[in-house]
Amino acid sequence: MTTESNTPAVVIDHCSKWYGNVIGINDISLAIDGGVTGILGPNGAGKSTLFKLLMGRLKPSSGSVRLFGVDPWESTSPYRRIGYVSETEKMYDWMTGHDFVSTLARLHGMTREEANSRAEHVMDFVGLADVQHKEIGKYSKGMRQRVKIAHALVHDPDLIVLDEPLHGCDPIARTSIMSVIRDLGEQGKTVLVSSHILDEIERITEQIVILHNGRLLALGNLHAIRDLLDKHPHRILIRTDHPRDLASAFVGSKPVYGVRFSEDDALEILTNDLSEAHSILPEIIVKSGIKVHSIENPDDNLDSLLKYLVGGDS
Amino acid sequence: MNNDESQLDIASGKTRMEVAYGSGDGDDDAKAVVARKASLGVLFEQVYRPWNGDLGPRWVRNYAIFRHHVYGIFSSKGHRYYNPFVRLSILVIFLSSLTPIAMIFLSSTIPGEASEWLTRMWGINRYNLWGQVLGYYPRNLCMWPLLTALVVGGMISDDRKNGTSAIYFSRPVTRTDYTVMKFLSASTVLGFVIVFSYMLYYSTSIVFRGEGWAFLIDTLPMFLGGLFAGILLVFTYTSIGMALSSISQSRFFAAIAFLSIIFGTKLMAFLVEIVFETSILYMLSPYDSLAHIGQWLVGIPPNYDHSIAFSIVSILLYNAASIGLLVSRVSTLEVTRE
Repeated sequence: MTTESNTPAVVIDHCSKWYGNVIGINDISLAIDGGVTGILGPNGAGKSTLFKLLMGRLKPSSGSVRLFGVDPWESTSPYRRIGYVSETEKMYDWMTGHDFVSTLARLHGMTREEANSRAEHVMDFVGLADVQHKEIGKYSKGMRQRVKIAHALVHDPDLIVLDEPLHGCDPIARTSIMSVIRDLGEQGKTVLVSSHILDEIERITEQIVILHNGRLLALGNLHAIRDLLDKHPHRILIRTDHPRDLASAFVGSKPVYGVRFSEDDALEILTNDLSEAHSILPEIIVKSGIKVHSIENPDDNLDSLLKYLVGGDS
Repeated sequence: MNNDESQLDIASGKTRMEVAYGSGDGDDDAKAVVARKASLGVLFEQVYRPWNGDLGPRWVRNYAIFRHHVYGIFSSKGHRYYNPFVRLSILVIFLSSLTPIAMIFLSSTIPGEASEWLTRMWGINRYNLWGQVLGYYPRNLCMWPLLTALVVGGMISDDRKNGTSAIYFSRPVTRTDYTVMKFLSASTVLGFVIVFSYMLYYSTSIVFRGEGWAFLIDTLPMFLGGLFAGILLVFTYTSIGMALSSISQSRFFAAIAFLSIIFGTKLMAFLVEIVFETSILYMLSPYDSLAHIGQWLVGIPPNYDHSIAFSIVSILLYNAASIGLLVSRVSTLEVTRE
């Protein structure tokens, strides 16, 4: 299946959604096309509302939603190119995984042979080839999640929407699913994935959308967004037996504007330019002759970013 | 797996060991067998292969919905699940609806008065054609409403209960397609039992009795009248059943509610008729309205005092209200239309 035009997969234009007096989504505009994008935000941020708007299950109170240039509320035609994994979607437990996926492939208009062949391939792709002829009711939670991903991929969609795909999975299943998602993104598919577990999103993608109270707080590369937060300095945590001696070596260096001793064996360097600070770090440490055990960036991650953006509400 | 391994009791952790100090039989090829370690992880080849085919048009998707529901009657492998009791009931009802064929066959094999009696009782005439579809006992007391309740009861209520309607609505399936194909699937199953058995009854009677063109020309209009009445019955029962299924999350509620409407309205009209000697309340009974219309179509004297127009309006209203309710409920499935 190929993209027919250059229209972005997802375009949301000044979209708002109210539930009576409660705001679900508040004047959001964004365009997403290609690669994996993580949709993040605390509970009630509007992630589910956003996905429901995308899947035509809610009508925007104002503004517009377009999938491949088509309003999903008015037409189901975009769904030919979309694979959707809902967090709560149920499956037919009496069917085997293969039968379920091939049945849904036929709902996309595939012939029996095509549906069977594709079902076999996607079940293999998500690592369920061995158990594809077992009933879904006998699958573990992680296997069920992978079946959902398989049925979302069976018609080779251009846009894949995954609502909490890692929910309830064991670590092995999580790793497998994350690997599948990364793989799809690398193949040029547009993948939207929501998760509450920030660490997992970080392992999948650096392209993120952050929502809070229905508003769009940030959109773009995780590190680029972090760099834009000038009022929250970056911290570099250096573990050493002589933090005070090392601190004196850093004082006066240009990108460093402060030091802090958070623990007995740790020195925190505060800077507004993380990359510049890292470039001078080795030289200063070597010159000081002080033994360093580890160097960490405790707030150059999604968790800190989300805390800064939503006020520690994550 | 070799013979030794087949004797492992992995679940209990015990293994059979024939080694060490063993002597005598089996000493020469004795060996220790130990349980294999359980796997803690799995690696799989992750090569995604794009698909370059063309997805079929709307009718292909709709046919997939149709076959999912209809084929499930025969096999739940890859299709809708019907309880074995439901399947058995459908089979019994279908075979019961074919009993006149057996009697006509019998009449064609035996000579004399017995044959004439059998033909009079089960042969082709206006009353028997009407009775094959619209007769109250046993068909509309024991068979058709029960069949409808069993087949239609869970059509939409199961999706409401399990949230499986999302399976359809996250695909290029419109709510109209979803509703129409579910309706068509249910009416096909009902039609197969009710209308097909009626057609089979008419055609096999001609064959078994060796009737000619003159008989065909004589009876065809009344056959067509009965056929139309049968189709109307299937449509009406399906629309009422589907509407009830769409407002509930329980196939049991939908089934019981359907039976209550069919039998309750008839019972009430019957009691009113006994007390007040008027048949007008039979227009509230879907069965009686259909029976009245059927009598008019087949050309037999009506059992009802009131005008046929009341029954026609009643059936139109029942269908309009049921389909309106069905459409309204399906349009809100999984959706907040604000």
